[in-house]
Amino acid sequence: MGTILLLLLVFLLVLAMGLARDLLKAAIALALASVFLATILFLHGAWVAAVFELSVCSGLITVLFVSTISLTKDSDQKEEAKLTGYLLPAFLLFFIGVDCLALRWLGPFFLDAKAMVPADTLTGGFSKVFWGDRTTDVLGQAALILSGVFAILSLFKRKAQHHSLEGGKHE
Amino acid sequence: MSSEVYGLFFFGLLTVMVGVYLLLGYRNLIRIMLGVEVISKGTTMILLGAGLYQGRPDFIQVLIVTFIIVEAILAAVMLGIVIISHKIHVTLDIRRQSKLKG
Repeated sequence: MGTILLLLLVFLLVLAMGLARDLLKAAIALALASVFLATILFLHGAWVAAVFELSVCSGLITVLFVSTISLTKDSDQKEEAKLTGYLLPAFLLFFIGVDCLALRWLGPFFLDAKAMVPADTLTGGFSKVFWGDRTTDVLGQAALILSGVFAILSLFKRKAQHHSLEGGKHE
Repeated sequence: MSSEVYGLFFFGLLTVMVGVYLLLGYRNLIRIMLGVEVISKGTTMILLGAGLYQGRPDFIQVLIVTFIIVEAILAAVMLGIVIISHKIHVTLDIRRQSKLKG
């Protein structure tokens, strides 16, 4: 029952994020949703994932969002399409209907999926699965982090070059 | 299926749908990025539900950690692009950013 309440809270915060006019409030609502999602992960024994969710999603990503909002604060943030916010409750009813139908339709497939995977595979602790069974994932993560760093470096390096070229023209 | 797993699938799918709605409905690039984050929250819920249903919390934990890392890198790169785009176009409205038009 506690999980359902926490899930409802996460969903309400996501809705508040969608309806918020101010981008800063929206980013904070998303961070709070991440905190409650981390609590759900923790309650179900996924401690490492909960720590990652709490530190990365509600910490790092929120800082990135807040920095971006403050760097672009003079733009037309409040002139966002109001119709989208007003129509969200109406679409929500439609989404709930589609969700119920999808889960009812997918129910038999869930039972089949449970029978397909043998119970003794991919267990034995987080570190064994992470470093032993999913080594390719670790390599992929390292490659992704490196590519992300190079992407950011190249983005802001180009900007610096652009500015230096413009300065030369003015001189 | 227990009520908790059902709830995780239900709210996860609902959150993904709301995220897609935000992606399609809004024009501000930062709001679009927030929509992507909402979709990732829903996906995390669905992953956790799948892990609980299968009875493999360790395995699904690894997948969730991988997913969170991918999400963080995506957010960092996309927000960098948003800042650069704002410097060039002076707006965050995607309909006014027409320099990529062919």
